[in-house]
Amino acid sequence: MGSINIANSKNRDAIVNTKSVHSPLRVRWLDEKGRQVQSVRLLRCTIDRDADALIKLAGSLDKVSELLLKGDPEVDVESYGRTLSDTSRVYIDPDKKIVHKILEFENVRNADGSLRERRPRVVPVPNTATETPLKWSGKLIKKSEVFNRFVFANKMQVVHVNGLTYDFLYNMAKELHEQQSLMLLGSGPKSNQPLIFQRGGTPYRGFLEGRIEGDKYCLILHLSNMELKVPEVQVAPAATVPAEGGTSEPVKTVEPAPKAAAPEAKSEAPAAPEASSTKKKTPRAKKS
Amino acid sequence: MARALVFQLDGREHSVSPEKIDRTKLYGAIDVEALDSKNRKCQLATLADDGRTIVGAGGSSFATLSPDGLWMEKTELKAVDTEGKHIMPVASSYSAPIPLTKKATIDEYLAHNIKGVYVVRSEGDVSALVDELKKGVIYSFPYSFRGGLEADVGFLLAGQDGTAFMAIGQPTRIHFVGLEQASVLTEEETETTADDDSVDFDMM
Repeated sequence: MGSINIANSKNRDAIVNTKSVHSPLRVRWLDEKGRQVQSVRLLRCTIDRDADALIKLAGSLDKVSELLLKGDPEVDVESYGRTLSDTSRVYIDPDKKIVHKILEFENVRNADGSLRERRPRVVPVPNTATETPLKWSGKLIKKSEVFNRFVFANKMQVVHVNGLTYDFLYNMAKELHEQQSLMLLGSGPKSNQPLIFQRGGTPYRGFLEGRIEGDKYCLILHLSNMELKVPEVQVAPAATVPAEGGTSEPVKTVEPAPKAAAPEAKSEAPAAPEASSTKKKTPRAKKS
Repeated sequence: MARALVFQLDGREHSVSPEKIDRTKLYGAIDVEALDSKNRKCQLATLADDGRTIVGAGGSSFATLSPDGLWMEKTELKAVDTEGKHIMPVASSYSAPIPLTKKATIDEYLAHNIKGVYVVRSEGDVSALVDELKKGVIYSFPYSFRGGLEADVGFLLAGQDGTAFMAIGQPTRIHFVGLEQASVLTEEETETTADDDSVDFDMM
């Protein structure tokens, strides 16, 4: 459950909760005795024994088969097959060593694959639960006009945290319900900036919908990052970007200051496991 | 060439080829490149919990274990729902015509998370279907690309310019909330005694 700082049409604001409305996993797998089985992630290959490492060890690709016939250099019997948990994401250099300081760039491409801009990466910061509330934009779009204009990829429900915020949100939902409209909800002074819920998260356009039923309400924040329309250009093969950081095209390039990889979970795990670990969840059964 | 999907409407079959659209095709994309201090391109890898083992792409895989920790093949397992009832697998939507018999309201459509959008293209005459969609009708149907345990919800609808689209969504759990259903309000159970109203300074 998250939180959001939101203002109503009278410019009164409150911090309330957001709730995920994602449907939970509905499939369980049972063995022949009717017991639930578990999924685990297993180690099957490490980078010191992968194809590149074997080629380096053998001297050339042709000699790898000879190496494989003589022994089992591709298998570490001590570690292969063990379960992986509490892993971290790290960056490695071409020598397969962990990199502690990296420079991150974004290659911005047009729809046809051509490079539009190259710039230092800026990680988006969350803006929905800050001291500045998300303003009531008042920009209403009828449901009948909006449903086929945008692709609503995600949504969350805005819920109260106490009696005062119940009234606050109920009235908000009622106002929108009566209008049969969705209200554009954005960040920034003009309420026209995208909503970002987590650091580095996907920026979305927000559309607030309200429904009421007796003394109950349903305030839904629809999130969209795409219009429902046909692409205008044909997608061409992606332009190549030199691996060594330069570009062959005249694009904007700004050198960022080097930064430590640790805050973004790209450092070595022992340094700060709690900050960098990405706990792997049990995989869900594949849906159709 | 995209696979053909056949819709049945009013006794007529309409064969269409859905073509996926996404943000990259509409607006382009951003790819992130990480460079080390020597300006060499770095790649992401996984560091195991021992802090030493580095696993590259494809270096791990998922397996299924029984409660006793024994290896299980997926074919030996039975899929059930949350109530323990056996789940009947659904066939691929491309294996048989899809009857368009169910219409969805805008509210029903908006209650789904849309995870994929396709523009509906056809070399045949699908004007009857498109004309119906242009009136604002939204058809819904179970959709599964490959077939599997669960079908998603497919929607056929017309865009603002009248182009036919197919949206694939998943239902959400949006629901009405009342005052008593406050998300963080929890009432602690306390024992009441006759002295509850008294002011007790001993505890201080």
